[in-house]
Amino acid sequence: MSTLRTEEMTLNMGPQHPSTHGVLRFVVRADGEVMREAIPDVGYLHRSIEKIAEKVGYRGFMPYTDRVDYVCAMFTNQGWGMVCEKLAGIEVPKRGEYCRVIAAEFNRIASHLLSVGAMAMDIGAMTPFAHVIREREMINDLIEELCGARLTFNYMRIGGVAWDLPPGWREKALKYLDHFDPILEEYNALISWNKIYIERLANVGVITPADAINYNLVGPNLRACGIKWDIRKDIPYSVYPEFEFEVPVGNGQWGKLGDSMDRYVVRIREMAESSKILRQALEKIPPGAVLAKVVRNFKPPAGECQIRVESGRGDMGWYLVSDGTGYPWRVHVRTGSFAAMGIIQKLSAGLMIADLVTLIASLDVIAPEIDR
Amino acid sequence: MSAVSEYAHNIKDTVSTIFEGMAVTASHFMRKPYTVQYPDRMPVRVQDTLPFRYRGILEVDLEICTGCLACERACPIDCIVIVADKDQQTRQLLLSQFDIDIAKCMYCGLCSEACPTGSIHHTTEFEGADYSLESLIRRFVKDPVIAYKAKKGPETDPRIAPILSRGMAYLDQWAQPGGEKPAGEEPA
Repeated sequence: MSTLRTEEMTLNMGPQHPSTHGVLRFVVRADGEVMREAIPDVGYLHRSIEKIAEKVGYRGFMPYTDRVDYVCAMFTNQGWGMVCEKLAGIEVPKRGEYCRVIAAEFNRIASHLLSVGAMAMDIGAMTPFAHVIREREMINDLIEELCGARLTFNYMRIGGVAWDLPPGWREKALKYLDHFDPILEEYNALISWNKIYIERLANVGVITPADAINYNLVGPNLRACGIKWDIRKDIPYSVYPEFEFEVPVGNGQWGKLGDSMDRYVVRIREMAESSKILRQALEKIPPGAVLAKVVRNFKPPAGECQIRVESGRGDMGWYLVSDGTGYPWRVHVRTGSFAAMGIIQKLSAGLMIADLVTLIASLDVIAPEIDR
Repeated sequence: MSAVSEYAHNIKDTVSTIFEGMAVTASHFMRKPYTVQYPDRMPVRVQDTLPFRYRGILEVDLEICTGCLACERACPIDCIVIVADKDQQTRQLLLSQFDIDIAKCMYCGLCSEACPTGSIHHTTEFEGADYSLESLIRRFVKDPVIAYKAKKGPETDPRIAPILSRGMAYLDQWAQPGGEKPAGEEPA
């Protein structure tokens, strides 16, 4: 008597799949509906941005940093500005630092809004996405008035920021924040506490705290595992020590600690914290210059340095080696999305194919940031 | 909790949370719509509603271009080509070519930041669709023109003065390195 022959199925997901958040490919080995593993195949969006830095010089590289992570470009701007300033020993004026923090925190809200909205859309709820895009457009309008662009900001410069806050902008920003805080509650009522939504997210893609550290997870993904680690608090930079804010961590309220729902809720809570920081920053912003005096032909001394920025996707590292000429010798960017890609293969074992989309969305990976 | 009561509880939770979500959705029937129908149903052109700092398609006021090539040097992708030669007889700088490839341009604003007179600046125009790449190259010099030379005092030529004041107003938007804030703005 012969037995029925079964075999493992190999599926290809991407590179042009709407749920992979960019050009990203997964090779899925599945046993029926259950995945054995999903192997991420990165590199489709590699634009050799680090190499471009060696060719365009210090000032010319600033617009390129926008393209490293286009969803939260302010942080990549800030990272490049900070690493150059640290190497050359430039001190940014106080008002410049405040402008940076204000722009960056608005950008964090916009980035997290897109993340939570896209997550709902990947799971099948279309309406929340329209809601978050509406809110994001309003933030984009504010940032557009501040720096003239909606996506690739190029707002910061080595030594400060390129534009001061325009007249009346502060009031507009405060007015927007007054509008935003109730909207967050409304959004939670719309989708976050929906029972079906929680069932789809809870206990999916559980990351233990030990795994999160071993796989080098950063940012909201790490904090969702209950580990309180935020660069803004633990290795403070810019003027963050002057603000009071909480670092939200996951608590496993809906399932196991470190599941997709925890990662989702940490992002929602972080938006409220960013709103708190923004109110304090807009209140306390001092008068004065926003741009330090930097020679036109910027040449940092030979040497190397590294800085860390808490971007929307977590700890972003910028490493710069200079040989004393007008062009960097080597630039390296370490991004949170790339670290998050590493753990997908481990997490996907035993998950349903439909949950792979949940997993990718909950890790909030952005394809250009993985490949750079 | 028995399995049956948990099952009933789940159903109750699902129905009540869906109802809450639908209440938010339904409330939008009463609110003003946020969407607009672009471009034919707009009460005003979008270009006119954009902020002054908006970085749209580049424009050059040749009347106040000094031919210093600062913008060409500042451009990280070399999308600006300028040919400026010194006339041997009159000792004047003659601009014979000023091309910007707006297909290559990434609208970063580094050129307009470097310009000393605000001659090269971004407009609020953003609709640049065209049929060929060649027609996306903006050629600003029709016939060779003499480059603008900054005067010691204020500009007196009635033809150039308004253009220059607009250019300087654009420059005032940029942060001045280490200096004071632009005039006419109160510190917040």
